[in-house]
Amino acid sequence: MGKSVFLRRTGLIVTLLVCVALLVKVPALPPYYVRVADSILIYIILAVGLNIVVGYAGLLDLGFIAFYAVGAYTYAFLASGQFDIHLPFLIILLIGAGTGALAGILLGFPVLKLRGDYLAIVTLSFGEIIRILINNADDLTNGPQGIAALDRARIFGLPLISPTNFYFLLLILTIVVCGAVYFMERSILGKAWRALREDQDATRGLGINTTGLKLAAFAISAAIGGATGVIFSAFQRFVSPESFTFQESLLVVLIIIIGGVGNIVGIAAGAILLIILPEVLHFAAQYRLLIYGLVLVVVIVLRPNGLIPPAFNLGHVIRKIQALWLSPSNT
Amino acid sequence: MALTLEHVSKRFGSLVAIKDLSLTFERGAIYSIIGPNGAGKSTVVNMVAGSYTVTSGVIRLDAHVVSSLAKHQIARLGISRTYQNLRLFDGMSVLENLEVCFFTDSLPGLFRRGGHRMTKVERLKRCHACLHDFNLADVAENLAGDLPYGRQKVLELARAFVTDAPVVLLDEPAAGLNHTETKEMARRIASLKRSDRAIILVEHDMDLVMSISDRVDVLNHGELLYSGSPDAVRRNEKVQEAYLGTAAELDIVRKLTEGRRTSGGIRAHAGVVRH
Amino acid sequence: MLDYLLQQVIFALAIGAIYGLIALGYTMVYGVMRLINFAHGEFFMLGPYLFTFTMAALLALGGLPPLVDTIVAIVVSFVAIGVLGIAVERFAYRPLRAYGRLAPMLSALGMSIVLQNAIRVTVGPQPVHFPAIVPNSPIEMLGGMVTTTQLGILAAAVVLMAGLTAFVNGTRIGIWIRAASESWTTSSLLGIRVNRAVSLIFFIGPGLGAMAGIMYASYYGIMQPTMGSAVGLKAFTAAILGGIGSIPGAMLGGFLLGAIEVFGTAFLPIVSGGAVGTEYRDVFAFAVLILVLLFKPAGLLGETVTEETVVAKKDY
Repeated sequence: MGKSVFLRRTGLIVTLLVCVALLVKVPALPPYYVRVADSILIYIILAVGLNIVVGYAGLLDLGFIAFYAVGAYTYAFLASGQFDIHLPFLIILLIGAGTGALAGILLGFPVLKLRGDYLAIVTLSFGEIIRILINNADDLTNGPQGIAALDRARIFGLPLISPTNFYFLLLILTIVVCGAVYFMERSILGKAWRALREDQDATRGLGINTTGLKLAAFAISAAIGGATGVIFSAFQRFVSPESFTFQESLLVVLIIIIGGVGNIVGIAAGAILLIILPEVLHFAAQYRLLIYGLVLVVVIVLRPNGLIPPAFNLGHVIRKIQALWLSPSNT
Repeated sequence: MALTLEHVSKRFGSLVAIKDLSLTFERGAIYSIIGPNGAGKSTVVNMVAGSYTVTSGVIRLDAHVVSSLAKHQIARLGISRTYQNLRLFDGMSVLENLEVCFFTDSLPGLFRRGGHRMTKVERLKRCHACLHDFNLADVAENLAGDLPYGRQKVLELARAFVTDAPVVLLDEPAAGLNHTETKEMARRIASLKRSDRAIILVEHDMDLVMSISDRVDVLNHGELLYSGSPDAVRRNEKVQEAYLGTAAELDIVRKLTEGRRTSGGIRAHAGVVRH
Repeated sequence: MLDYLLQQVIFALAIGAIYGLIALGYTMVYGVMRLINFAHGEFFMLGPYLFTFTMAALLALGGLPPLVDTIVAIVVSFVAIGVLGIAVERFAYRPLRAYGRLAPMLSALGMSIVLQNAIRVTVGPQPVHFPAIVPNSPIEMLGGMVTTTQLGILAAAVVLMAGLTAFVNGTRIGIWIRAASESWTTSSLLGIRVNRAVSLIFFIGPGLGAMAGIMYASYYGIMQPTMGSAVGLKAFTAAILGGIGSIPGAMLGGFLLGAIEVFGTAFLPIVSGGAVGTEYRDVFAFAVLILVLLFKPAGLLGETVTEETVVAKKDY
């Protein structure tokens, strides 16, 4: 008995260590792989953010990338020669989250009484409007050429140069965001969101201001989108409207659905699959997207609830670890 | 101190569902609203709860004008309800179904008008106590959607009472329940009567209505036909006519139901007429 | 000025008719299945490609007068795209019916990528010239210049829309479709073969989309693999504008969107004194959509959903 407890605990520690080691060892790979890893982390954060709206509150937002764009251009405006403003990165990160949230609230106020697909199409329209505005407001955004030569980001004087630097920054942000969202999900706010998703009218009947609840979901998710946009543009040191198309919004939604709606573990799996897949398919040359589309359809037809079962969520994983560690006597 | 409807009317297009209805519901009693199908019973509940707006007239809870408020504000004032068709949050646990009732109380002061902020411990204590009172403690962690129908009905009842709302509207609490369950439901509702609370039922089951109500309001074609004690309602000719038609028609029904009557009173007649 | 106005009206009607035809496909599918069929724009794109292949094949066979060739090619395109639509529904959507609304939507997105790239790898990503079906000659009408293509599109679209309306309102199977879009469960309980109605919708919708595609390509003289997603999105907007699920709504929405676009393009620069140029045409269109939905939350001809009429508890 004692021995098996020891074995199990060792097994757990080893597993966790291997995970940590794998995450820490990613930068040892060639830069190309590190960039892919960066990309995956960005999409995990975006999808976790959007999941608050889609997965928890049950509102389909097809224009999420607009908030990402707002964040990205916030950095471009405040850390480049465009207006000759050069604010520190971390300050802009906060401002980006703020402007994102503000955009979320501005969009949310008028449209949140719409239901289902009408809300979806209005958010889609909003996303397109933002993109077209960016594309055409030449004086402000340089239009399709975008804004180049953005400042190099620094954190407490340390410059962020390589994909590796950003990898660690993104890794930290991913953990922070996932942790925060996880606690939000378990809080009374998360429960109210789930109630909203299940039955909006009954939720209102319990004295809950559902418009405020939706607005909170929109604002929080838009803030995450905005902050991620800031990092993206600091990483690229270049922004242009073509990074913020409708297809990008769809990609984030796809990541959520294919992983398993409302499930953070599923989102990670979805992001890994959907970002790595096109890279792996490079060998297929022009058939790449064809295969990609087929894989999407086949995966969803075979696993309509997403790759990761709803029960296997972050809470489950944490409980498993707790159970293994704290009460080793039960089998 | 009471819930009052003052000259309330409700029109749906050209259809007049409620015509100049005035009623007062004091705390400390159980009221039933009955009437044939289409009499406007559910419309009253939906107007009080804010699901429908009133076409004219005023609904007040004490000094507050309820009829001009949004649905969630009405609920915050202390009018809670159940639904004709169950509207539980099926994908959430039984406990969570109650917890969300305290969402607004649990918010930081900035988002909450008045009162103190409820802590998680207080919230769970209230919910667990309620689950205990409603015999649901053993299924606290089960998904609401997985409960048998009878217990789902009880859970919805618990959800309406957990916040200690001064006015509770019960829209057909016995619908779909079998005889034993209905009896149990009647006993439960009767036990929930308190001096600081008005319970208003809309119900078809006459045994239930007659056994627990302090006052029965009979609606017909959107108007108040009669209002009085269960016994008075039972004896009232106008009520019998509204339910069963004229005396001549009533004779036919009597003949038809002869020998099939299991329990006396209106229930058997009403049953025949409805089905 | 009047002639210019007339020209713009005809232009708006022609482009609006195309949007309307595509919007019909979105709205019929949505009406019955509550699915945003993101693959629908691709049927629109496939139309002109298939038409071109069939024409080439017929020419190679030879022996038929050009008019017969054209008619045969049009019919072949309609039927083949319709059958493709049925197949897509059968294999990519039907297995997902019991799984909420996001899963089929994802499948639709996947199908959209597949169909678009199927053309991209077989024909190539670049725009291809599309020959005019009818000789495109200008006609003078009331002092303004319109083209035969514009008039042809308008006439064909009106015929197709009238045909669909007559079919849906007048035939037994059309009534099935309307019943199925009122209530899936009730219809199947009444013995209506809902699956057959769905298959029919997935035949008619893509078929009409393909016709719209042929019109669009002959209007602009080119076709390319990406045209489906761009125009499809707008047509979907039109369907929402009119009230999704409503067949007259889709037609109205199409014409309205055409008008908004054309007049937006023509008059925005004039009205704003040049400050806002034609590049803001789409912003204008989307802004109108948002405004309409704010005042008519279910679109112009859509059924208003009030709290007590909500049948499905969950939106997603």
